[in-house]
Amino acid sequence: MIMITGGAYQGKKAYAAERFGLSPEEMIDGTYCGYTELINAKCVYNYHEFIKKLLKNGEDAVQYTTELCDNNSGLIVIMDEIGSGIIPLDREERSWREVTGRCGCIIAERSDEVIRMICGIPEMIKGGKK
Amino acid sequence: MTVMITGGSKCGKSSFAERIFDNIKSSKIYLATMKPYGEEAEKAIERHRILRAGKGFETIEKYTDISELTFDNMDSVLLECIGNLLANEMFRNEEIELCADKIADEIKQISTKVNNLVIVTNQVGSDGMDYQEGTELYISEMGKLNQKIASIADTVIECVYGIPVILKGEKPC
Repeated sequence: MIMITGGAYQGKKAYAAERFGLSPEEMIDGTYCGYTELINAKCVYNYHEFIKKLLKNGEDAVQYTTELCDNNSGLIVIMDEIGSGIIPLDREERSWREVTGRCGCIIAERSDEVIRMICGIPEMIKGGKK
Repeated sequence: MTVMITGGSKCGKSSFAERIFDNIKSSKIYLATMKPYGEEAEKAIERHRILRAGKGFETIEKYTDISELTFDNMDSVLLECIGNLLANEMFRNEEIELCADKIADEIKQISTKVNNLVIVTNQVGSDGMDYQEGTELYISEMGKLNQKIASIADTVIECVYGIPVILKGEKPC
């Protein structure tokens, strides 16, 4: 598994497409995709939005993420870092932020390589070539 | 040499940027983009003035269209900061203008004309919040502009509580 993270609009998708030679069809948008699509996907982006969707539907996102890691260990997961603001007042927003953090830790733990994008520059924060 | 310094709010970007200029002997220009509107802006500007005092900077204030300025090829310019410049350009008219490309071109032009260009920008968009459309567009334009500036810079640094983390190139000082 490979994880690409970083703030919004830092060039995560472009990096993944270039480095792994992914076509737009091979990159699935977590905002809209269904659960089963991810099992066979090469790459998912906006995984943080996928988590939001899981929570809205009352699913256990941590368990789902763990199972996804088990069943598609070659997946490239792109998700935003979202935890650097103030704790949201809204209960649902708060829960989303927490669960996204936990899921991110699981994905990072299972990934051979974790890349953090900033200003279009990849920082190798786990594994990979310096 | 073109250097870009990024990081969150109040993370020591300016002090580090100014440190780069300590070893520069040629003329130093501080290109300020923040409009002095309101008490907080005036305070921030005053704080930065005190930080720069005695360091031999000539200050030029230019809030938009920085390519209209002329520089000497021996000048070393400290441009601070991209966050304000982008906001000034995007929101100057009633209709929001997407100007990441325009500003990136202007910075590229200046970088080829001067001896050294140090650019202070900042990181936004790591809080997962949904904002209204204008702010969301601002965050995406900041991301795009930062990527463009980083691609033309020799050195890119992220400041973390005053500690420079080198993302690209060599440590400048």
